Amino acid sequence: MSRMGTLYIPNDTFFHRLDGSIKLLLFLVWTIVTFLFLDMRIFVWMLVLGIILITIAKIPFRAIRLIVWMMITFNLLNSVFILLITPAYGTELTGSATPVLQMGAIGTIYLETIHFVLTLSLKYLTLLPITFIFIYTTHPSLFACSLNRIGVPYKIAYALNIAFRYIPDIQTEIKHILHSQQARGMGFQTGEAPLLQRIRNVTSLVIPLITSSLQRIEVVSNAMELRGFGKHPRRTWYHATPLQAVDFVVAALSILALGAAIFLKVKLSLPLWYPF
Amino acid sequence: MFTSLFQLNTKTVVTIGIGSALYGILGLLGFPIAPNTFIKPAVALLVIFGALFGPVVGFLIGFIGHLLTDLISGWGIWWGWVLSSGITGLFMGLVFTNKGFSVNDGQVKGRHLVFLAISGLIGIIIAVSLAGALDVWLMSEPADKVVLQVIGASVANVIVLGALGIPAVLGLTKWNRRNTNLKLDV
Amino acid sequence: MSAILSFQDFSFRYKHVSNPTLKKINLDIQAGEMILIAGPSGSGKSTLAHCINGLIPFSYPGEITGELFIRGVAPQPKHLSDISRVVGTILQDQDGQFVGLTVGEDVAFAFENEGIPLEQMKIEVKHALNMVDMLPWIDRSPHECSGGQKQRVSLAGILSMSCDVLLFDEPLANLDPASAQQAMALIVEIGQRTGKTVIIIEHRIEDVLRQPIDRMVIMDQGSIQAIGTPDELLATSILRDVGLREPLYVEALKHLQPEWKPTDRLSNIRHILSPSLTQALHNWCRPVPVTTDADHKSTVLSLENVRFAYNHGPEILQGITFDLHEGEIVSILGNNGAGKSTLAHLITGMYTPTNGDITLNGKSIRHWSIKKRGQPIGYVMQNPNQMITQQLVTEEVALGLKMKGTDLKQIDEKVREVLETCGLYPYRNWPISALSYGQKKRVTVAAILALEPQVIILDEPTAGQDYRHYTEFMQFIHSLSQQGIAFLLITHDLHLAMEYSDRAIVLSQGRIIADDKVTRILTDSSVIKQANLAEPSLSTLARQAQLDPERLLTHFIQHVRQQRGRLTSLATDQSTTLTGENT
Ligand SMILES: Nc1ncnc2c1ncn2[C@@H]1O[C@H](COP(=O)(O)OP(=O)(O)OP(=O)(O)O)[C@@H](O)[C@H]1O
Ligand SMILES: Nc1ncnc2c1ncn2[C@@H]1O[C@H](COP(=O)(O)OP(=O)(O)OP(=O)(O)O)[C@@H](O)[C@H]1O
Ligand SMILES: [Mg+2]
Ligand SMILES: [Mg+2]
Repeated sequence: MSRMGTLYIPNDTFFHRLDGSIKLLLFLVWTIVTFLFLDMRIFVWMLVLGIILITIAKIPFRAIRLIVWMMITFNLLNSVFILLITPAYGTELTGSATPVLQMGAIGTIYLETIHFVLTLSLKYLTLLPITFIFIYTTHPSLFACSLNRIGVPYKIAYALNIAFRYIPDIQTEIKHILHSQQARGMGFQTGEAPLLQRIRNVTSLVIPLITSSLQRIEVVSNAMELRGFGKHPRRTWYHATPLQAVDFVVAALSILALGAAIFLKVKLSLPLWYPF
Repeated sequence: MFTSLFQLNTKTVVTIGIGSALYGILGLLGFPIAPNTFIKPAVALLVIFGALFGPVVGFLIGFIGHLLTDLISGWGIWWGWVLSSGITGLFMGLVFTNKGFSVNDGQVKGRHLVFLAISGLIGIIIAVSLAGALDVWLMSEPADKVVLQVIGASVANVIVLGALGIPAVLGLTKWNRRNTNLKLDV
Repeated sequence: MSAILSFQDFSFRYKHVSNPTLKKINLDIQAGEMILIAGPSGSGKSTLAHCINGLIPFSYPGEITGELFIRGVAPQPKHLSDISRVVGTILQDQDGQFVGLTVGEDVAFAFENEGIPLEQMKIEVKHALNMVDMLPWIDRSPHECSGGQKQRVSLAGILSMSCDVLLFDEPLANLDPASAQQAMALIVEIGQRTGKTVIIIEHRIEDVLRQPIDRMVIMDQGSIQAIGTPDELLATSILRDVGLREPLYVEALKHLQPEWKPTDRLSNIRHILSPSLTQALHNWCRPVPVTTDADHKSTVLSLENVRFAYNHGPEILQGITFDLHEGEIVSILGNNGAGKSTLAHLITGMYTPTNGDITLNGKSIRHWSIKKRGQPIGYVMQNPNQMITQQLVTEEVALGLKMKGTDLKQIDEKVREVLETCGLYPYRNWPISALSYGQKKRVTVAAILALEPQVIILDEPTAGQDYRHYTEFMQFIHSLSQQGIAFLLITHDLHLAMEYSDRAIVLSQGRIIADDKVTRILTDSSVIKQANLAEPSLSTLARQAQLDPERLLTHFIQHVRQQRGRLTSLATDQSTTLTGENT
């Protein structure tokens, strides 16, 4: 995690310069398109495109490595889970049935279901690249400001800003509470106290965390109020940058892509693409 | 009543922000009880913040907070579950609209707790079911499997509500009741 | 002449407290005036400030009686911002008011709310940051700023606001001495240039009085004890009476000549010395006392070439080496951001050095857990809010003892003893959230003192404390050191360092630039300059009397230490009679 405490990695690429609200639009369109289909061909192309975009955004592989592995593990588990619980689900979607494996009590696993879980896994993976681009290239303040510009009330946008601002503070707070308790003899790690005591020690951290957060809410809202927050119906943003021509181009392309996707969906109208 | 619920004063803004940050971080913490089902202690925060600040704040903390969890972890946004956290927060906050209920002034009666337990239970079931339904519609997950997950998640959340959330609300209330009439004891 | 702020028989009671915290305040503040409000910790200064800036009644509910007029009218504001248009405030809690994600954004916050256009905002932000020497930090996040740096940022934030009244609640508490003087000069300069009314709440009276202050208001126990010009009040014994410390040179002069008049202009150090006083000063310092307690005690804690950087950032500590001996009190001095708190984090195991070794009683503790180190090493953090985890004062202090498995009766006794030395016994059943900032800090000091570990590190123990209270616990610390406990005092309070420590270590830019007796360090102008320290007022006095500053300092400290036993017993007497009155 970077020093901002968020995942934002400062850089100067096409995506870093792209306005936050446009990136949000792109993100939403991408997500909706993914939701619309269950078609391996489309996902493969989107994945390829996503990888190209990640390269353009210069997101270092080490930043995303862990999450990619986590997603792959998740997909494996999810697939096994589906195969065990609904081994014949694929046949319902395609109307054909090609048994592959006979597994006693569980039932028969069909090729159609295996094809389905592969497609589903690809669907989950397709959502990843755009998420990476969104979170690694968007400065939280810039994002709040552009949310405000597209019509989200500034108070809600600012709440988001505060959330980003205080994530690292709360992490530090948790660390400090933990440290100062440890320094005064509370055990949290294995070997420092019996298990039951350790669990009790961990739950004893919850109340101070809540009370200190409530206290923090008090102090921060006082400080903000004293500096005139909420005085006027509008506010300006220090991080604001005017929309550029490219922003409009990307927005137009996104809308176009969405339209094309809907057209395709209506034309194909298949629950699951299955070539065999 | 309703205008005051929707009015965003500075303190509400900060509460939403800090509450979401807290929920966002603690949301990363989960203890597996069944495959793909976790006990998520952070749900207790929704109970506490809902009871303290009402359904609107509860909803936003759940929604934004879950969004943050998904963003921090980087595994992508799961809109169904984001919405589900919001709805859970909303239902936990309903008790706030009850007459005579105020954690800050130490005024919580038995019937309020019953209300909180029931509305919480209903809220959890609605929220988790909705998330499951969205998984089926949007992600095309098989319904049979999702039903199992919905049951698992509901049980997990109800456990957190009963074992952590309600006791915490009660604890805060008792605590606030004690802190009136402070005097120096020489 | 019209008062911009006028309190008339004003009282305030917090909702959950039985007795009023402010009692019958009568105070007129004229437009353009420069006011210092001083008083012991918990005397109601911040509460008064909150009444001025509107947090009372908007944020803290309670009961107000009497009247507060702003510009002659009793305001009936509907919203706090109606008042914040007139009064700009810096709160006591420096962490809480840093709301931006970056330094620049935080300074811009007020402009943003006013809807100032972007280009103008950028210029103003740069200008404000430049004034407090923080321009290079404009894109940094608050987590990268040390305590004092955060304070400068908030100073920049308020100096650029367009209000008539500027209200500062302890603006200097975490600043190093040189920065404190610069900040004060800046505040006063801006006040004079723009004709704003400036109200400063501070414990560091000496630093504030170096600037031309119009009037001082002395508070104690919720009421105003005295109002007057610095000359008037310094001539009396009011500061000492309420348990505050007079500027050191005044203390020394009063020793030589007990009676003073307002016309002697005690606030002006440059014109105070008459020939007879100069003579008296020379006489006083004549017998050079040589007391060397250089008996070799065993080393408890030792750092060897310790280096550290926060996640691959620049190296904050670049080879720190020193020994701490049994029963020694060592001060750690240095500018804001020099790495003092970081050093404490390394010793207590919250971070691990990138290089070098830390040994305790000759054994390396490099691989010890925080918990294991916590037994022999106690640590009071700079920010009390980060340490407090319990609800009640007694619970917090008893926590460590409970964890150690001490039996209940002993815990009770110990808790009682430390709470009394820290002046918190009457508050023992209070929730910590209802305490003043200084009181909270004392709770954390008490919680560590109760444990009696082998080494105690105190990060800014006297920030926000008044003289009487800190003398009490410093006396206790002194007696613990006689029993062999070693102390590291991280501090910007040079008086404290002078009076209580045997030795001081000065950090600057990640290195130790001096390790010597405090009096010698404070007369070494190159060290003073490098580490942002400041020459004590006594040195200025000595120079004017053509005395060797180090001689006067040494002499004065010896004098104070001799007096201390008597002084503290006097102070405790007074505080018991005072609390007696209160009931
Ligand atoms: N929110 C609160 N609720 C109840 N009592 C409070 C609250 N804040 C402060 N007090 C009490 O009011 C008294 C005055 O507190 P205040 O913060 O004004 O002191 P102060 O003079 O600013 O002290 P310090 O120098 O330590 O900051 C204290 O005894 C404190 O316990
Ligand atoms: N968590 C952190 N991450 C990165 N940098 C940090 C962190 N904490 C402190 N720093 C940096 O380390 C340097 C030393 O900080 P530290 O808090 O030790 O200073 P200090 O000497 O205690 O200052 P002060 O007197 O103002 O409290 C500062 O430049 C600060 O910006
Ligand atoms: Mg105060
Ligand atoms: Mg520090």
